Amino acid sequence: MAEESATRNEDDIRILAFLCNWCSYAGADLAGVSRLQYPAKVLDVRVMCTGTISPYFVIKAFQEGMDGVLIAGCHIGDCHYLKGNYMTAKRFQVLREALKFLGIEEGRLRLEWVSAAEGEKYAEVIRSFTEEIEKLGPSPLRRKRAEVGA
Amino acid sequence: MAEEKKTTAKGKARAKRVEEKDKVKAGKPESTGGAPVGAVMVVGGGVGGIQASLELANLGYKVYLVDSSPSIGGVMGMLDKTFPTNECSMCILSPKMVEVASNINIEVITLADVLSVEGEPGDMRVRLRIRPRYVDIDKCTGCGDCTAKCPVKIPDPYNAGLDMTRCIRVPFPQAVPGAAVIEGEVCRYINKGKCGNCVKVCQAGAIDFEQKEKEEIYSVGMVIASPGYKPFDASRKTEYGYGVYDNVVTSLEFERILGANGPTQGHVVRPSDGREVKKLAFVQCVGSRDVTVGNGYCSSVCCMYATKQALIAKEHLSSIEPTIFFIDMRAYGKDFEKYYVNAEAKFGVRYVRGLVSGIRERQRTKNLLLRYADEDGCTREEEFDLVVLSIGLEAPCGLKEGLGVEVNGYGFAEADSFLPVLSSKPGVLVCGAAQEPKDIPDTVTQATAAAGMASQALHGARNTLLTRREHPPERDVSGEEPRVGAIICRCGSNIGGFVDVPAVVEYARGLPGVVFAEERLYACSQDAQEWIRQVVDEHKLNRLVVASCTPRTHQPLFRETLQSAGVNKYLFEMANIREHCSWVHMKEPENATRKAQYLVKMAVEKARRLEPLAEGESEVIPRGLVIGGGVAGMNAALNLARSGFQVYLVEKEGELGGLARNIRFNRDGADVQEYLRGLVEAVEREELITVFKGHRVVDVSGFVGQFKTLVRDGEGRETLLEHGAVIVATGGGQYQPAEYRYGEDGHVLTQWELEERIAEKDGSLKEAKRVVMIQCVGSREEERPYCSKVCCTEAVKNALALKELSPSTEVFVLYRDIRTYGFREDLYREAREAGVVFVRFDDDARPEVREVAGALQVRVPDANLGNETVVLNADLVVLSVGVTANPDNAELAPMLKVPRNAEGFFLEAHMKLRPVDFATDGVFVCGLAHAPKSIEESVAQAAAAAARAESVLCKDRIVTEGVVAVVDAERCSGCRICVELCPFEAITYDADRRVAVVNPSLCKGCGTCTAACTAGASRLQGFRSDQIFEQIEAAASAWWD
Amino acid sequence: MSDLKDLVREKLKDGVDAFLCLKDEEGTLLPALITDADSPELELVEAGGARYPMGKILIDLLREYPGKRFAVLVRGCDERALVELSKLEQVDLDRLVMVGLACTAEEARACGCTRPYPSEIALGEKAEAAPGRETIEEVEALSEAERLRWWKEQFSRCIKCYGCRNVCPMCFCKDCALENPHLVEPGVIPPEFPSFHVIRALDMTGRCVDCGLCEEACPADIPLRSLYRKMQEIMEEKLGYRAGESPDEKSPLSFLGSEQDIEKLEREQ
Repeated sequence: MAEESATRNEDDIRILAFLCNWCSYAGADLAGVSRLQYPAKVLDVRVMCTGTISPYFVIKAFQEGMDGVLIAGCHIGDCHYLKGNYMTAKRFQVLREALKFLGIEEGRLRLEWVSAAEGEKYAEVIRSFTEEIEKLGPSPLRRKRAEVGA
Repeated sequence: MAEEKKTTAKGKARAKRVEEKDKVKAGKPESTGGAPVGAVMVVGGGVGGIQASLELANLGYKVYLVDSSPSIGGVMGMLDKTFPTNECSMCILSPKMVEVASNINIEVITLADVLSVEGEPGDMRVRLRIRPRYVDIDKCTGCGDCTAKCPVKIPDPYNAGLDMTRCIRVPFPQAVPGAAVIEGEVCRYINKGKCGNCVKVCQAGAIDFEQKEKEEIYSVGMVIASPGYKPFDASRKTEYGYGVYDNVVTSLEFERILGANGPTQGHVVRPSDGREVKKLAFVQCVGSRDVTVGNGYCSSVCCMYATKQALIAKEHLSSIEPTIFFIDMRAYGKDFEKYYVNAEAKFGVRYVRGLVSGIRERQRTKNLLLRYADEDGCTREEEFDLVVLSIGLEAPCGLKEGLGVEVNGYGFAEADSFLPVLSSKPGVLVCGAAQEPKDIPDTVTQATAAAGMASQALHGARNTLLTRREHPPERDVSGEEPRVGAIICRCGSNIGGFVDVPAVVEYARGLPGVVFAEERLYACSQDAQEWIRQVVDEHKLNRLVVASCTPRTHQPLFRETLQSAGVNKYLFEMANIREHCSWVHMKEPENATRKAQYLVKMAVEKARRLEPLAEGESEVIPRGLVIGGGVAGMNAALNLARSGFQVYLVEKEGELGGLARNIRFNRDGADVQEYLRGLVEAVEREELITVFKGHRVVDVSGFVGQFKTLVRDGEGRETLLEHGAVIVATGGGQYQPAEYRYGEDGHVLTQWELEERIAEKDGSLKEAKRVVMIQCVGSREEERPYCSKVCCTEAVKNALALKELSPSTEVFVLYRDIRTYGFREDLYREAREAGVVFVRFDDDARPEVREVAGALQVRVPDANLGNETVVLNADLVVLSVGVTANPDNAELAPMLKVPRNAEGFFLEAHMKLRPVDFATDGVFVCGLAHAPKSIEESVAQAAAAAARAESVLCKDRIVTEGVVAVVDAERCSGCRICVELCPFEAITYDADRRVAVVNPSLCKGCGTCTAACTAGASRLQGFRSDQIFEQIEAAASAWWD
Repeated sequence: MSDLKDLVREKLKDGVDAFLCLKDEEGTLLPALITDADSPELELVEAGGARYPMGKILIDLLREYPGKRFAVLVRGCDERALVELSKLEQVDLDRLVMVGLACTAEEARACGCTRPYPSEIALGEKAEAAPGRETIEEVEALSEAERLRWWKEQFSRCIKCYGCRNVCPMCFCKDCALENPHLVEPGVIPPEFPSFHVIRALDMTGRCVDCGLCEEACPADIPLRSLYRKMQEIMEEKLGYRAGESPDEKSPLSFLGSEQDIEKLEREQ
C-alpha cells in the first residue's frame, strides 16, 4: 500500500453519507444497477431511518476530519416509518445554522430527499456535492496527519 | 427436508418444486376426501397478487405465485408516483417484492399461464404452461454482463417500449426473481444458431438454451386470481392518432416518461424531438365509458391518475401547462376530492369539461391540434406539444378459458353482489382489477380479503405445508474477543473487473479483529454458503463481514447462513462494494479499490462491536374484538369466527345492523334487508361470537396480542375482554340537511326515504309527475370537503327504480359530476336511456328549492347552458345526502392510540398498501369508519380486516425483530420525549420506575427516539451510536491508511 | 409590595411544606429550605443578591420528598427553567408555588437578561430587559474563516471543568454526552473543536432558558451565553419556539408534528 499512498493527494476530499435504508440507500443501489458514474470520494453509512441520525453523528464526522456530510432520506410523506424524516428536517435546520454561526461553511452539510426510484438523482447529488466540497477544499477542522499518528 | 437445510433459498425453491411435482405424479393420495391442501395458488404477481401471497404465507399457507411475465411487480412497478399522496411507487412496492423473494413459503413461478383449474375448494388442481426463460434463475446473479454483450436490440417492455433494451436482460432493476430472461423469438442463437455471446460472458454458467416449454400440475387448496387488467389499445380510437403521431402517448407511456428510472429520467420531453413540453393535454375516457369500443364502464382510476401525472409533470418542470379534458371528474375515493381541488386551485392544472373528438398533427412542428366541444357546445381547437391519452382498463385474458370463472359482458370476472372476491367458481377467488377496474388500495383490500376467504376454506390445513427453517443451537460468543471473518466477493467481473479484489482481501487481513479473509467468485452461490459455514466453524468466527452487493437483497441470505453455522445472525455486517462502488466507479479502478477497502474497514469496525440480538416473543390471546355491529363489523366477526377464532362483537345500540337497515336494495337489485337478516342470524347463531349489544368501549389497554378492553352497558355494568386484535367497524352517519326545505316540507325527502317508499311500492310515487333529485347535499363543500362516493349511484339506482315503478314520472337529477365509477356507469347510461334528465350545476351556483303557490319549485342554473336558470315544478324533491364520520370515533381514537383525519374518519397506516391497518399493530379498520363506501366495498374491507386480524391471532407467539430500540433504565431521566416521538406508540412511561419502556412487539426499529435522547439512554440495537461512531472513525481514518 | 418573610410565612401557613429561598450563611447567600413559619431562620432570608439554579435544586427536592409541596422564590430565569423542566417532566408544577421576584434594574443590566422578571411579580419592580447581542453581532460580522478562528480561540481556553454543565438548571441527563469518549476524548485539554461546546449547544437548543449561569460559572470567560442565545434565535426563527415561555407549547424537537409543518419549513428554507 505504501506505493499507492505516495500517489495520494493530501488535498483529496472525503465525504460521509448517511443513507436511510428504504429510500436513499435503495436509490444509491439503483444508481449502481444503472451504472451511473460518480466520484469515488464518498463513503456511506446505512441507517434504518434518517430520524435516527443524531446531530452528534454529524459533529463527530466533522471532528474526525470529514470534508462534507450528506444526509439522504425518503421524501417527506414517503418515510417508511411514517414521520421519522420530519425530525431529520427539523434537526437539520438547526444544525446547519449552528455550523454557519461557528464558521463551518454551511455547504459542507447537505440534506437531500432521494427516493428508491431516483438513482439518477442520487448520482447527481454526489456529483454536485463532491464538486461543491472540492471548491471549498479540505475542511479546516481536519487534523494534521501527524496528530492522528499515521 | 433435512437436505434442504443445507441449501440456499434459491436452491430450496427448486427442491420444493421438484418435490411438489413428485407429489402430483404420485397421485397425491392424501388429497381424496381428506383434509384440505394447505397451499394456495395466486395467479398474477401485481400488487394484488403480491399482497395476497404475503398474507397467505403469513396465515400459514404454502403459496405458489404465478406470473405470466418474467418478473412480479405488475403495473404498479411501472408507475412513477401514486395518487393521492404522490408517493414513489417503487419505493413502497419494492420492499414487498423483496419480502416475497425471501419468503421460503412463497414460490414464484414466472412466464407461466394457467391452462385449467379443476377440483373442489380444499382440493384444486391447476395446470400451468411454463415458457422457457433460457436462464437458470438459481445460477443467474443478475449482474448484467450478458446484456452488455447481447447484439439484439428490442423495445424495453418495462419502459412501455419507449426505449431499447437487449434480448437478454434483467426485466428491471428491482425485478423478482432478479434474474435475466431471453426473448426466445428474437434471440439470434435460438433462431439462427449463431452468437451465444451471453453464454461466453456468463461466469455463473446460467444460460441454458436447453430449456423447453413445459406443462405442470400443482395441487393446491384454493386459487386466488389477481391477473390485473389489460391496458386499452389506444390505436383503436383512430381519431386520436395514437401510433401515427409521435407526440400522442398513452398514460402508461407517460408514466414511464415521468419516472426517475424511466427512459428520460423524468424529463418531460417529447418523443418526436426530445424538446421540453410546455402545453400538455390529457384526454380522458379513452376506451372507457365508450360503447363504441364495447367498454360501457368507467375505468375508475383515470381521472385521478391524470391529475397525478399533471401534478408530477409540473413538479418536474414548473413551466408546463397541463390541461385535462374530461367528462365528469371522478374524484370519489378517500382524499381524492381534496387532491383534485388542490391540483386546480393551488397548482394550476387546467380542467376543461369536454370530450375531445379528434386530434390532428401539424406536420412541421409535430404539435397537435385537439378538437373538442366546450361546455357551451361550441367546437374549439387548441394546440398542444404533447397529448396523453388516459387509457382505460380492460379485462385481462384467461379468466374464462384458463381459470374457468364466469365473466360479465365486459369480460371481467362475475362477482357476488355483497362479497365481490367470490367468483362463480367455488375454490377460485378473484381480486383486483380483474373483477372491476380499481385503484391500488381497493386492490390491496380485495387481495387481503381473498387471502382471508381462502384461509376460511383451508384453516384446517393451516401450517401443514409450511417449511420452517431449523438451525443448530446458537454458540455463546459472549466473553469471546471479536473474531471477524471477511469474505470479499468478486461477483464475477462485476466487482472483480473494477476493484482489485486481492488487494482488498490483503487490506482486510490487516484490520484489527480480522482472523480470516478470502475472496469468492460469487459469495451468494449455493456452494459458497456451505464454504462459509465451514470457515465459520474452522476459524471459530464470531462475526462475519461479506463485502459484495446490497444488504437490501442479500443480507437475509448471509444471515441465514451464519445462523445455520450456529452463530447469532445479527453478528453480520455487509459492505456494499458493488452497487455503491464497482458499478459507479468503473472508470477509476484505483479509487474504486481504495473505496472498497474503506467500506470493508467500516463494516469490520462496526462488526467488532455487534452483539448477539435476541428476537423477542410475546404471547397471543387468540380472540378478536370487533367494535361495531353493522354490516362491516358483523362480516369481520363472522369471517374471524369462520377461520376458527373466538370473537367479541360490541355494538352500542340494542340491535345489530347499523346504517344498512336504511338501505333496501343494492345497485344490482339484490335485497339488502334479506342479506342483513341472514347476516344477523348467522352472527347470532355462530358459537364462536359473543355479542355485546347496548355496550360501549370505555377503556383499552395492552398491545398487539394482548389487549384488555373494558365494555360497559347502559346500566353501568362492566365486562373486561381480553383479546389479541381489534377491528374498528364503528360505521358512519348521514348528513342531516337543513337546506332545500328539508324538514319543512314533507315532499322533500332523502334518498333513503325515497328508497323506503319505492320498496314499499308507495302509491303516491305513481302519482308524482315529476321528481327532482339534488346531488352533493352535505358533500364536496367547505365543511365536508370530500365526496361521499355512494350518492351518485344511489341516485341513478333510485331514479331507475322510480322509472320502473312509474314510467310516466319525470325524473331530474341535478348534479355536479356524476361519479358512477366502474360498472355503476351502466346504471347511469340506463337511466339516461330510460329518460332520466341530468342537469349539471356549478359549485358556486347551487339549485334553490322554493314553495310557490303551495307547490315545490326547483330553480337550477344549468351549467351546460351558460348557467341559464331552469325552473322545475316538482312533486317530490329528493336529496342525496352525504356520509359523515361517526362522532364516537373521537372518543375511541385516543383509547386505541390511532389517528383520525380532519373529517373525523379513521386514518389508516398507509393509504396505498396498508388500507385496513393502523400504524398501531393489532388494530384494524373497515367500513364507513374508514371512509364513505358502498356495502360491497365495506364487506370486502371487513374481510380484509378480518384476514389481517387473523394473521395476528393465528400465531402462538409474536416474534419481534432484533433491530429494535431499548431504553437503558439506568440512564433514563423520564423526560418522555421518546414516548412522544415514537411513530408507532411503542414507548410508554413506567411511572413507578420513572423510565421510558420500549415494547419490542410494537417497535419497528426506526431509531427516531434514539437521536432525541441526549442521555443516550435510548438505543437502536444493531445501529447503536457507538457502532456508528466507529464507522465514522473508520471512514475518516481510512484516508490515512 | 410584600416583605419576603411575610410571604414565606404566608405560604407555609397555606399548606406548603417547605419554602426554597436564599439565606445568609455567615455572609454568603445559600439556597435554604424553610419548613417552619415560626423559625428564627426566617430572619436570615434574603431576596436578591446571589443566583442559584433553583430548577436543578427542585428536581432533586421534588424527587426526594414525594407528595410534598414546595414554594420557591423565582426570578424570571428560574421561572422559565421550571416551565421548561416541567415540559421535560423533571418537575411537577402542581407541587410548586412560585413566588415571583423581579430583578433590579442594575441586576438586569449586568446580566443582559432577556426578561428579568417572572410572569407574576410578588417582590421587586419590573425592570427593562437589556439583552445584549453585541457578541453575536460581532461574530456574525466576521467572515466564515474568521468566525471559526474566533470560536476556536474562545474554546481553546476551556479547561474542561464542566462548570457550565454543572450549574445549568436544564442539564439533568444521568449520562452526559460530554463524558462519552467517542465524542469527547478523555484527558485532552482543551477539548477538541467542535465536539464539547457544540454538542452542548445543540443539546441546549430549544431547552436553554438564557439564565446565563454557565457564563458566570466559566473560569475561562468563554462567551457561552452568546452561543446558546444564538441557538435559541435559530430555534425561534426556524421552528418558532422559545424555551421557557408558554407552558402549553413544547419544543418542536420533541414531537413529530404534521406534514404541513415540515413542508412549510422546507419552503421557507
